[in-house]
Amino acid sequence: MQEIMQYIPGDGIFHRIHPLTKLVFTVILVGLAVLTGDLLILSGLLIAVYLAALVGGLSRGLTEQIPLLVILGGMLVLFTVLTMQGGEVILTLIPAAVPLIGGALPVTSGALLFGTILALRFSVMLFAFQLLVISTRPGELVMTLRQLRMPIDYTLMFLIALRFIPTLQREGIRISEAQLARGYSPGDGFIGKVRGLRPVILPLIFNSLGKADTLGMTIDMRGYRRGKAEPDPISFGRLDGIVITAVSLLAIMVVAVPLM
Amino acid sequence: MPIDIQNLSYTYLRGDRPVLNDISVSLPAGSMLVITGPSGSGKTTLCRAMAGILSHLYSGRLEGSISVKGKDIMAYDGVEELYYEVSMVFDDADAQLIFTTVGEEISTSLRNRGFSRSTTEEELVRILGLLEIEDLVDRPPYTLSGGQKQKAALAATLALGTDILILDEATSELDEAARGVVFSLLRQLADEGKTIILVEHMIDEAALYADACILLEDGRITASGSAEEVSRRIQESLHPVRRRTTTANGDRLIEMQDLVHCYGDLRAVDGVNLTLRRGEIIAIIGENGSGKTTLVKHMNGLLRPTEGSLLISGTRCHDQSVSLLSRHTGLVFQNPDTMLFEDTVRKEVAFGLKNIGRDTGCIEAVLAEVGLGGREEVNPRHLSRGERQRLALACVIAMGQDVFVLDEPTTGLDPVESLQIMEILMRLADEGHGIVMITHNPGLATTYADRVIRMNNGRIVSIEEA
Repeated sequence: MQEIMQYIPGDGIFHRIHPLTKLVFTVILVGLAVLTGDLLILSGLLIAVYLAALVGGLSRGLTEQIPLLVILGGMLVLFTVLTMQGGEVILTLIPAAVPLIGGALPVTSGALLFGTILALRFSVMLFAFQLLVISTRPGELVMTLRQLRMPIDYTLMFLIALRFIPTLQREGIRISEAQLARGYSPGDGFIGKVRGLRPVILPLIFNSLGKADTLGMTIDMRGYRRGKAEPDPISFGRLDGIVITAVSLLAIMVVAVPLM
Repeated sequence: MPIDIQNLSYTYLRGDRPVLNDISVSLPAGSMLVITGPSGSGKTTLCRAMAGILSHLYSGRLEGSISVKGKDIMAYDGVEELYYEVSMVFDDADAQLIFTTVGEEISTSLRNRGFSRSTTEEELVRILGLLEIEDLVDRPPYTLSGGQKQKAALAATLALGTDILILDEATSELDEAARGVVFSLLRQLADEGKTIILVEHMIDEAALYADACILLEDGRITASGSAEEVSRRIQESLHPVRRRTTTANGDRLIEMQDLVHCYGDLRAVDGVNLTLRRGEIIAIIGENGSGKTTLVKHMNGLLRPTEGSLLISGTRCHDQSVSLLSRHTGLVFQNPDTMLFEDTVRKEVAFGLKNIGRDTGCIEAVLAEVGLGGREEVNPRHLSRGERQRLALACVIAMGQDVFVLDEPTTGLDPVESLQIMEILMRLADEGHGIVMITHNPGLATTYADRVIRMNNGRIVSIEEA
């Protein structure tokens, strides 16, 4: 089964650099993706993240997310086209020949461009974050967040969210097997599928809520919020310098190119 | 005295009657106490009282006194100060594994005690060794079996190094061998001067290691003494075992020949030959990870054999859908909460019947058969664990299949509830159904099954006829 957002053991460049370096890399890329609205620059950023993953031996971890990105990207474009208009009308979703409502729902060049920019922006963010998460042990990431003096409650929340993703995936499979054993077969078509989710989603929610009490007591009783553990001092290597320099150069280029 | 409780009564917020009633217990250092009793008798509440959870995290009404190491429990600055003295392992192991590998889970407890990196490494190796889980150090929680999770949760709690350790049904998913490892480790810790409190349903095994035992019933201590004495008293109160009236006849309901199932390179089931006949009860026992669950998931088509042949009610099942095979075989999973989702007991049973197009007129009769008669309109989430387990069973038996497969049907149930489940299974076998149950309770297996099959590394290593 494919795990979402889970650490992949390895020995590539991304595994060897300090989690803080990776955090800086991710924050800069996400920042650039938000700041720029240029289609070419966004495409360049996406390629840059992919190349970085390729060098670090983690390209598969990103390509596995492409089907999800295509679906989400397609939906972003669709919603933008439906809710925004600008520039020239390229076509109408309801042909002009249809009586009464013909010519409704126009697709404009401005909306299409903006939707594509949103989808690309989202892809850069997801790729950058995925690269950080799959190359860093969650424990190290949490330690780094603590080195940055982030409050322990927030770091624990982040850790627990990552930790329980695969557990929920598996629990979902177990529940759907239990319902299959009761002769349940999900309905046909979109509506059927949505209605068919109920016997699986409801136990998943109830069981997760049931865990929250024990989880809270465990955190308190193990003293995680008041422990004596002091974070280790941050120590950077040569590789960290190279990655920080590369991503800084990328940032300068992104800022400078439109000015030229 | 590490723990001293005098005249403790406790009522949960919005509770209408006390869950604990006038409890007094004193535990000297170096002692190991077993607490037992039926579901809902207040065992977990008593553990939570000793751990300071009731006093510091809950807002019910508490009367009487609790002192930990000679200091009143209210004088501690919350459970976060008590954690230097008392640690507790809860029954839901999964919710206690917060980190993404077993090693990190244990190391974090150690680092929190202020240990240096090198001491943490040494202690980590020692603790993994104590529970024989060295091979799990880099494994994420989601890849562990229930028993392995319980060991990991115990290891992370042991790493806190407190003088008082409470285990609330924290060994329920361990196999016999693993329980032996844990119990003897707890005895060793008690001999070193720690105070151990263990909540257990299967006290016969724990009796060999414990110093004392108390029986809780309806929030009161109704018996105390050595674990053997209390165990004898419980056995006396149980009804004698009913003998089966029929034995298996010739009809073959399930036939497996040289069945193999591979997960990647792992042969989880490795050449199993097994026949289940009408009217027969088969128990499957074996250590965690021996292939028991993988094997039974073939019986209703959730898994397909990698090699070998499988006939269900005489039909080759390779190309049949699960929904079709579920008309022949009903499967009840270990945790009833993986299937219950409706808001009344009646709707819950009706769900399966409607799925296979059957009449829902039998619901009352089936519920009466599992002892839930008259509870049709109750919300399943308001039932006790034992009742939910019987409801899950009712949901499946209502569908009237030939074969019923149960994965650990008595985990987390007290002896009376376990007996109720066994009574139902015997009745079904007498009616001509074939029953397969996985269990970690060898006593239950030899008492109620016609054949006891032991599995190891995906193979059947022994078959015992009753």
